[in-house]
Amino acid sequence: MRKLLRRTDIGIIIGCIFVFALFSLWNPEQWFNWSTISNIGQYTAILGLLAIGQTFVILIREIDLSVGSVYGIVGITFAGLENSNISVLVAFILAMLLALLIGLVNAVFVIRGKLSSMIVTLGGLFFYRGLVYVTTHGAITGVPQAARENWLAQLFGGHWLRIENGFLLLLLLGFLCAVTLYQTRFGNHLLALGGDPASAESQGVPVDRVRTLAFCLCSFFAGLSAIVTLTNEPETNVSLGTGMELESIAAVVVGGTLLTGGRGTILGTILGAFFFTAVRSEMIALGAPPSWYISFVGIALLVVVTINTLLAKRLKST
Amino acid sequence: MATTDGTTDSRQPLISIRNVCLSYGNFQALTDVSVDFYQGEMVGLVGDNGAGKTTLIRIISGIIPPTSGEVYFDGERITKFYPKKAIDLGLECIQQTIGICDNLSVGRNYFLGREPTKRFFGVPFLDKKKIRDASAKVVHDFGLRDTVDVDDEIALLSGGEKQTFKIARAVTFRNRVIIMDEPTNHLSVRERAHVNELAVQLKQQGLLVIYITHDIFQIHRIADRIVIMENGRKVTDVPRDAMSAEALEGIIRDGGRAPAKGPKPS
Repeated sequence: MRKLLRRTDIGIIIGCIFVFALFSLWNPEQWFNWSTISNIGQYTAILGLLAIGQTFVILIREIDLSVGSVYGIVGITFAGLENSNISVLVAFILAMLLALLIGLVNAVFVIRGKLSSMIVTLGGLFFYRGLVYVTTHGAITGVPQAARENWLAQLFGGHWLRIENGFLLLLLLGFLCAVTLYQTRFGNHLLALGGDPASAESQGVPVDRVRTLAFCLCSFFAGLSAIVTLTNEPETNVSLGTGMELESIAAVVVGGTLLTGGRGTILGTILGAFFFTAVRSEMIALGAPPSWYISFVGIALLVVVTINTLLAKRLKST
Repeated sequence: MATTDGTTDSRQPLISIRNVCLSYGNFQALTDVSVDFYQGEMVGLVGDNGAGKTTLIRIISGIIPPTSGEVYFDGERITKFYPKKAIDLGLECIQQTIGICDNLSVGRNYFLGREPTKRFFGVPFLDKKKIRDASAKVVHDFGLRDTVDVDDEIALLSGGEKQTFKIARAVTFRNRVIIMDEPTNHLSVRERAHVNELAVQLKQQGLLVIYITHDIFQIHRIADRIVIMENGRKVTDVPRDAMSAEALEGIIRDGGRAPAKGPKPS
């Protein structure tokens, strides 16, 4: 029991159970409707993938504010390549390489330039978003129907047994990331770096390599999230992903990962994404004005972080 | 090393620092420092704040390269300075504030940077059983409480236990050099005695122990040789028996102005 309470993600586990029970009792017809479930699954996947990437970066005491713009530029690149008759596979590979490259650039500025990741990625947020505007001239592009029927596009954007593939991908990658984080050397090095960088380095942890990988993973997941979005829902526009960086950070923090690094779980992050998505969906269903959602994110963030901090203090003193 | 009379010193120094200088811009942190460290001895490195003790250690542990001068390890000249290199050579620096990650378990800290893995379908996963068993054996051999579970976060240990843990880890990974940077600060009297006892045991096992401290009386009791630094220079380098702790303290208090050079070590 003590071990369970010690989990950093205990708050969000309880929060999700609470939200699930509340909506089941309050509005069962709407809540247990298949289209609701599949919608929540899809949007949890989009936010969850972004947030998993963000988790790696936050775990090493850094932050990535560029993920919303990376999500945008990778999505626009993928859609743009689709419209110029390039095969889906090649377009996918090029778009994901772009994502990795952006992660690498972030890492180089942070490590070699010794700059704060907040500044570097804030620069990225503006730069890549601007690039989207410049290259598209503000025109709306989408993924053409023919490309959407390609096997690879179906793999990311289709569904299986009426479950959105994006959601299945989230579960699969979430599982792999959790295993990587807690059962491999890289994961141990990442946690050590987040816990105490000087100590990690003194024991021979290749800190620069771990940092670089964390930033690359973060951009990679942002790119993947964009592909999952576009192959499922081909309409897009230049503001694709705006504000997603903050939502992804909120999901990670509500999921129990500490901004001070070194502690957190992938499960918490996925539940954090589910929590926000489920509440947004339910608020729309209940006819609440959608703008309330933003205020709700703020309140939920404060409540959960306060509870987590109090729990941590109490456990420390016992 | 060949000496002037043609005979060969039977003991080659494990670490040899020759004419090392280090400057940060206009600030001269180390000036022409030459000192040898031998296997199986404990050297007390003493001096006031800003004397250059820690700077010297940072060079030895590969954190910063010297501006000029040479560093030899086991007879081989070191040309590239980076922490992993020092670790690979078997050198471990034990510092008060660095060395363990509070957010990790005792076992994970024990194997940090050297995690054993077990392949499962070709993928290397952490060998948790080995981590648990090996670290449990060591922490208990070194006299940590029986109630310490290696799966617990290391933050639960006391200051002295953490120091003991770092020493235990340094020893069991077959290191050759242990540098202790003020290891007994903030420790209780009993914990301090335990750490010093461990330091002596390390020396007796044939390791080179470089012990940095402010406390000349404490180190005079256990070290074989005392090196005093002042203003980035080595001012004294004497075998323990050559000078009393009081005389050495006088040198430190006078800013190294007393006998500029003590007798050479054997």
